[in-house]
Amino acid sequence: MDAVDVSLHERRRAQRMQDPEYRAAYERAARELAQTDAVIRELDLLRADLGISKAELARRVNRNASSVRRLFTASQARPELPLIVALADALGAEVRVVPRVAKERQPVRGPSGRRRVAATV
Amino acid sequence: MPSGRRSVQRRSGRQAADRDRPVPWDIIYYKTPDGIAPALEFLDQCPGSLDAQFTAVLDSVAAAPPPQFSGGGKWEAMHGTMGGFYEIRLSGPRREQFRLYCLLENGTMEELAKRGLQRPAIAVITGMRKPWRTTFSEGDYRRVRELGTEHQQQHPRRIAT
Repeated sequence: MDAVDVSLHERRRAQRMQDPEYRAAYERAARELAQTDAVIRELDLLRADLGISKAELARRVNRNASSVRRLFTASQARPELPLIVALADALGAEVRVVPRVAKERQPVRGPSGRRRVAATV
Repeated sequence: MPSGRRSVQRRSGRQAADRDRPVPWDIIYYKTPDGIAPALEFLDQCPGSLDAQFTAVLDSVAAAPPPQFSGGGKWEAMHGTMGGFYEIRLSGPRREQFRLYCLLENGTMEELAKRGLQRPAIAVITGMRKPWRTTFSEGDYRRVRELGTEHQQQHPRRIAT
């Protein structure tokens, strides 16, 4: 069976990106998504690296296993910051806000020696 | 556990994540029998920068791609009667709520080929908007499901080009 033409999305985006306001909004949204996703992925990788199940991690932060499972899948549109912070703490890490201009000189570990869960895109 | 062993495990987990990263998915727009693409009509009517934001979410999900994407705070698997759908949730001016409804086109290469697809894709079905602190009716959701079902019955898929 012949393949359908799936190029419309690319063409539509390319055409709209010629508008500076559209491009700025697109890039801002993409950065926000990437940062949120990077923090959640980093937490999940850290969890896996430490050999901790999602259920065990949930138990450590006094949450239902389903709430932690939802966080690591596309089942929760609005990740709660308190949960993110609690999970990071339970994994021996911490969440930081890092100014983009300081990205180059960002140390690998925070002053406390804990791992940072930060996203600078 | 010795720190050396832990660091090896950490590296291997990350290397596996990089190694297993699949190719981006395509993004396609469902088209009705009379040639209308409801999602594109919805996007074209979105105020301000919402079209750009929806497009950014779609691109981020497609690049992840969906099974590995946490959602980034905007992409959510739906449940109950809308199970199987994913929605992108954005707020607009005066907190008006905008939703874009998608289905995932995944399967074996043979299954995808029957749909006219060369790789997995996000099928964007339609969108809806509602004032803040209101809900969509079951009839609204039924309409979304009907469009999704109609889309999935097409071999190859009938999409906007």
